[in-house]
Amino acid sequence: MKTQLRGRRTPITIFVEGDIFTKLSFLVWGLSNMVRGQIVKGAIYLAMEVAFLYYMITSGLTNLANLATLGIHEQGMVFDETQGIYVVQQGDNSMLMLLYGVVAIVVVAMAIVVWMTSVYSGEEARQDKIHGRKVYGIVDDIISLFDTNIVRLFLCLPLLGILVFTVTPLIYMILMAFTNYDANHQPPGHLFTWVGLENFRAIMDASGQLGATFLPILAWTMVWAVCACFSCYFGGMFLAILINSKRIKLKKMWRTVFVLAMAIPSFISLLVINTMLGKNGIINVLLQNWGFTTEALPFLTDATWARVTIIIVNLWIGIPATMLMTSGILMNIPAEQYESAAIDGANPLQQFIKITFPYMLQVTTPYLITNFIGNINNFGVIYFLTGGGPNTLDYYKGAGKTDLLVTWLYKLTNDSNDYNLAATIGILIFIISAVFSMITYARAGISKNEEALQ
Amino acid sequence: MIQKEIIGLRRKPQLWAAGAYIVVLICMLLPFVTVDGTAMSGFSLAMSLSSDAPALGFLYPLLAVLTVLLVACGVFLAMKPSVKGVRLWTVIGAVEMVTAVILLFASKMILDKSGLLPQVFLVKNFSVGYWLLLVVSFVGLYCAMEATKVSAGYIVLSVMSVIWLFPIVWIVLTSLRGEGGYYVGYFIPKTFTLNNYFNLFKEGSAIPFGKWWMNTFLVASVSCVLNTMIVLMTSYVLSRHRFSGRTLLMKAMMVIGMFPGFMSMIAVYNILKGMGIGQSLGALILVNVASSAMGYYICKGFMDTVPKALDEAALIDGATHFKIFYQIMIPMAKPIIIYQLMSAFLGPWGDYIFPSLLLGDKQSSYTVALGLKWLTDTQRIETYYTQFAAGAVMVSIPIVVLFSILQRYYVEGMSGAVKG
Repeated sequence: MKTQLRGRRTPITIFVEGDIFTKLSFLVWGLSNMVRGQIVKGAIYLAMEVAFLYYMITSGLTNLANLATLGIHEQGMVFDETQGIYVVQQGDNSMLMLLYGVVAIVVVAMAIVVWMTSVYSGEEARQDKIHGRKVYGIVDDIISLFDTNIVRLFLCLPLLGILVFTVTPLIYMILMAFTNYDANHQPPGHLFTWVGLENFRAIMDASGQLGATFLPILAWTMVWAVCACFSCYFGGMFLAILINSKRIKLKKMWRTVFVLAMAIPSFISLLVINTMLGKNGIINVLLQNWGFTTEALPFLTDATWARVTIIIVNLWIGIPATMLMTSGILMNIPAEQYESAAIDGANPLQQFIKITFPYMLQVTTPYLITNFIGNINNFGVIYFLTGGGPNTLDYYKGAGKTDLLVTWLYKLTNDSNDYNLAATIGILIFIISAVFSMITYARAGISKNEEALQ
Repeated sequence: MIQKEIIGLRRKPQLWAAGAYIVVLICMLLPFVTVDGTAMSGFSLAMSLSSDAPALGFLYPLLAVLTVLLVACGVFLAMKPSVKGVRLWTVIGAVEMVTAVILLFASKMILDKSGLLPQVFLVKNFSVGYWLLLVVSFVGLYCAMEATKVSAGYIVLSVMSVIWLFPIVWIVLTSLRGEGGYYVGYFIPKTFTLNNYFNLFKEGSAIPFGKWWMNTFLVASVSCVLNTMIVLMTSYVLSRHRFSGRTLLMKAMMVIGMFPGFMSMIAVYNILKGMGIGQSLGALILVNVASSAMGYYICKGFMDTVPKALDEAALIDGATHFKIFYQIMIPMAKPIIIYQLMSAFLGPWGDYIFPSLLLGDKQSSYTVALGLKWLTDTQRIETYYTQFAAGAVMVSIPIVVLFSILQRYYVEGMSGAVKG
C-alpha cells in the first residue's frame, strides 16, 4: 500500500533526508514530482503555486495588511490641492476589508495544505524511484482516486462546501465580535475597527442596558429550554405508553392523529396557531362566545401569558415527535419484566417508575441533551408565534420579553444592524451549547463505541 | 345484593360507578346555574327547556334523561350483572359525559337565547351542581370502564385527539370558507367554496402561489438529491476508511455545528453576492447543499453497523473501494438513504430565515414559507386569510402524504440517532 509510506515523516525529515530536488521543491512546488517523471502532477502543483503567488501579490497581501486596520480613510469630502476644490473621497469599506482579509487567511491556509501535499507527494515519488517501484503517472493517480485514494475523491467536494459556506463565514463573524461594527459604524459611510473584548464586557455588564437585556434573555432562554425539553419529553413518553398499552385498540388510528400534527411543516402549524391566538383569532372569539371570558385574552401580547402560551403551543408540536421516537424504544423493553412486576403486585405507576423510566432515561439521555440544545436555538417557535414580543423599553433596541438569545441575535443582525453584538451573542450561544454537548459526548463515550459496532 | 362472579366483569368498580351516578343524579338537584343570587337546578333547567328550546337547547333535557337512565341501569345491573349490560351502561355514561362537556361550551348560547336568566350568562355562573356533576361523571365513567376492563386511556386519547385536531380542522374549514376575512365569530363556515384554492393558482392573481410552490418544490428536490449524495460519500469515507486527520475532521465538524447557523448568514449572503448569484434560487440550493456534509452523523452511525466483513470479502475478490461503495454500501444503507432524502426534502419546505434574507422582496422567487408568512402580515391578513389557509393546506398535503408513506424510515432514522 503506497499510502502507508508517509509513515512518521514530517516536512523537516523530508528536507533533511531528501536530495537537492526535494529541497528545491520546497520552493518550487512539484519539482520533485517532475524530476521523478510525474510531469502532469508536478505541473499542477506548480500552476497552483503560481496562482497563489499571483493572488498574494495582486490582492492577498493588501487584504491581509488591511485586516490590521480595517480601513483608515473615512468617506467624506477631502480638499484636493491640485484642483483647489473639495472632492468626494470614496473611503475604505471596513466590512469588505474584513471579509477579504478572512478570505485571504483561508487561501493562505489552503495554500499551506497544498504545499504540504506537494512535499509529501514529491517525497513519495522519490522513495518509489529509489526502491525501484513503478512511479505512478497521472492516469494511475486518477484511477487510484476510485480505489485506494477514494477518501480524497469523496471528501473534496463536501469539504470545499463547508470551507466556503461555513468555515469562512464563521471566521468572519467570530472576528466581528471583536470590532465595533454596530448601527453607528456602518460601511461604506463609516469605518469600524478592532475593540478587543469590549463587546463581551458590555453584554456581561449588568448595570448597562445591554447587560440588562442579555441577562434576562439568557435566563428566559434557559427556563424555556428546560420547560420545553422536559414537558415534551414526559408528555411524549406518556402518550407513547398510553398508545402502546395492551388494552388500547385501534393503535394505528390514534398514532395517525398525532403523526398528522407532526407531519405538517412546523412553520405552518405555528403560523396557523399564531393567527388563532390573536386578539380577533378564533380561540378568543370562541372563548367569548362560550362565555369563558368577556374580553380577548392577551395570549401573545402579555409577557407572562406569551411565555406560558409558547411553552404550551410547543407541546402541540413536540409531543408527537417524542411519541414517535419513544414508541420504538418502549417496545424494546422485555415484556417479562412487566409480567413479573405485575405478579409481584406492582401497579402501573410503580412499573413506570421502576422499569420504564430508568430504561428510557438511560437510552434517551443523548437525545434529551441534543433536544435541550435544540431548544436553546429554537428559532421557529418564537419567531412565528410572538416574534419575540411583547417588546419592552427596558430592553436594548427592539428586544422583547419572549426573545431567546437566537431570536435576539437575528433581530440584531436584521433589524438594528448591530453585527458586533450579534456575533458576540453567537459566540456565547456556542459556549453554552458546547458545554452541554461535552456532557453528552463524555457520557455516551461515542468514540469508544465506534469500532465495537462493526 | 346478589354476589355473583362473572367472567370479564369486576364488581367493585361497577358498584363504585353506580354510586357515582347516584351522586350525579343528586347534582342535578343542586344549584346548577347561579345568576344574581337566583339559582336553578339541573332538573328545573331541563324542564324549562324541554319545550320550544333554542338550538342545542335539547341538551339539558337530554342530560336529565341520561342521568336518570344511568342510575336506573346502575341499580338494575347491580342486581343482575352482565358484561353486555355494563358495556351498554358505559356507552350511556360516555354520552352523558360528552353532553356535560358540550354544555360547558354551549350553555351561554342556550341560556342567553332562552331568556331564563335575568342577565347574560358566563361560565363563572355555573355553580357547585354543574362542576360536581362534571367531575363525578368522569369518575363514574372511569369506574364503569374499569369494571369491564376497558382502558380509561380512551378518555385521555379522545381529549388529546380533539386538541391536536382542532387547529387542523380549523384551517381546513377556513380554507373552504366562502366568506372572506380574518375575524369571524364562528367555527363552521356559513358557505363552502373551493374558490380559495382556485384563486391561489389563477393566472395573474395578486399572490403567485403556484410559482412559490414550484420554487419550493424545485429547491427541495434538487437539494435533497445533492445533499444525500454528499452525506453518503462523507459518511462512507468516515465510517470505512481510517485516514490521518479523520478524528480531527469529525471533531471540527462537531464544534462548527455548535455555532448557531444563522450567525454567519450575513457573511454567506455577502459571499453569494460577491459570486454574483444573490437573490436566486440557485444560491438557495447552493447554500442548502454546501454544508450538508455536517449532517453526516446519523448516516455514518448506520453504516457503522453494516458488517465490515462484507467489504473485506469484496476487497479479496478484487473490487475497488468505489465499487464497494456503490454495490455494497448503497444497497445496504437503503433505509438511511430514504431517511436522508426525506429529511433533506422536508427541510427547504419549512426553511424561513435564510431565504428571507437572501430573497428579500423578490416575490417571484419566494418559497412557500416566505410567501405564507408574508400573507399573514397585519396589512394582508384580513384580505387573504382564507387563501392563506388554502395555501397552508396545499403545502401540508404532499408532505403529510410523503411522511405517512415513509414514516417507518423516518422513525428508524430518528431512533438510530438516539442510540448514537
